[in-house]
Amino acid sequence: MNTQQISTKQVSVKRYLPDSSAEPFWQQYELPVDDSTSLLDALNHIKEQLDSTLSYRWSCRMAICGSCGVMVNGIPKLGCKTFLRDYEGDIRIEPLAHFPVQRDLVVDMEIFLEHLAAVKPYLIDDNPVKPYDPKTPETYQQTPEQLERYKQFANCINCGLCYSACPQFGLNQEFLGPAALTLAHRYNLDSRDHGKKERMAELNRHDGVWSCTFVGFCSQVCPKHVDPAAAVNQGKVEAAKHTLIALFKG
Amino acid sequence: MNMHKHDVQHKQAFDEPLWWGLFSAGGVCFAVLLPAVILFIAVLLPLGLLPAEALSYERASSLLFSVPGFLFVGAVVCMPLFHAAHRLRHGLFDISVGNDALNKKLMYGGATLLSVLALGIVVAGFLR
Amino acid sequence: MDKSSSQRLPPLKRNWWLKHRFFKLYMLREATVLPLVFFTLCFLAGMVALLQGADSWQGWIAFMGSPIVLLLNLLALAASLFHAATFFVLFPRVMPIRIAGHSLPDQVTVAGQWAGVVVVALLFFWLLVRSGA
Repeated sequence: MNTQQISTKQVSVKRYLPDSSAEPFWQQYELPVDDSTSLLDALNHIKEQLDSTLSYRWSCRMAICGSCGVMVNGIPKLGCKTFLRDYEGDIRIEPLAHFPVQRDLVVDMEIFLEHLAAVKPYLIDDNPVKPYDPKTPETYQQTPEQLERYKQFANCINCGLCYSACPQFGLNQEFLGPAALTLAHRYNLDSRDHGKKERMAELNRHDGVWSCTFVGFCSQVCPKHVDPAAAVNQGKVEAAKHTLIALFKG
Repeated sequence: MNMHKHDVQHKQAFDEPLWWGLFSAGGVCFAVLLPAVILFIAVLLPLGLLPAEALSYERASSLLFSVPGFLFVGAVVCMPLFHAAHRLRHGLFDISVGNDALNKKLMYGGATLLSVLALGIVVAGFLR
Repeated sequence: MDKSSSQRLPPLKRNWWLKHRFFKLYMLREATVLPLVFFTLCFLAGMVALLQGADSWQGWIAFMGSPIVLLLNLLALAASLFHAATFFVLFPRVMPIRIAGHSLPDQVTVAGQWAGVVVVALLFFWLLVRSGA
């Protein structure tokens, strides 16, 4: 494939400039593309060459920082992992769905961060390892088998694409949502963690795992193949067990 | 007031595991049993493609009004009803019809009533 | 942290699922229960008929043979198969089966469930066609 072959493509960007216009509007840009042009490259080209007023988030260019999420023709995508060569005809770029838009492609993700914080996505250990002493090193130990149990769910980069893909989050913003519930499950599965009980109180709510209807689109759009839908529904099994145990203990 | 709101938000959903468990069990029954049940009872039987005696009044009665018949009705009527109730409840929420608290009562209540009716018929036939 | 500090958007409009093929398929999956409920009500009517006597039972079989009922039940048959196709692939994701530390490949679980459908159909064949004749 000859990556030097340059052609032009048109992209439409949904602009929102609250200082000058109360309503969002569409703006078209013509730009040169080759086979290696990512959507993020395109946005950078617009910003640098065509229109410096365009706002969007980005950082790493390699699908690890999770900041360049946008809607491409209605589907949540990472700008850096999306290539214009894969699109024929119309390319419509919008801010991530289900989040309040601040400006152009920049959304307010505060609610996602709140839901994330609610499930305590970090190791909780009542008896943590002692401060590092080089003479008697003591570390958390974990076998490859124990790692394997949660590894897939640990690949989340908090990009929020799954929240834009999730109609249940769109219908009810109190729903903790795919990434938060997946992270909760990831730590619940971790052999070093002892915080499952605390997280279960969040998961086993109507707005916890029980708002999920396994639409499954979150797993389709996840750029890291985390399969949040599977994690959330495994969380239902755990929440059911948790409730049964609570019932017998009274 | 704030404390109260906090309590409401953290209310544990003790009933949801039950509905989800019934939904899942019903989903398995719907997927594994119902294709054959519908094919034989609702398609081949009325089309006259089964042997004449296969589901004659006497044979159908003895098959249904029995202990295996009771279990059969539980698996092909009651469980799938709860599966349907769960999906209808969430489906109504998806298209913003009614409110969830009422839909829950109507759907699971309906499934319970029809289940009791179905099992009651088997028991009535068994005792007659 | 105050739970309601961040901004909330109003719920999606009720036609949200018409905007994407994936969501239409989801709604189709959820709607498989509609013909299921129809069949279940038919089945319940059949049970009542069976309780009432031989004439009612024959009447019920005739009712089941009327074109609209038959058509709706054929739809229910299709719905049950579509439901099976969508449900079986979810199962290994919700309950991954691990044997001796290794997870069973998804295809094995899915194939096992389809085998279950076939076995049940064969059971019906044996019960109603072979031994009934």
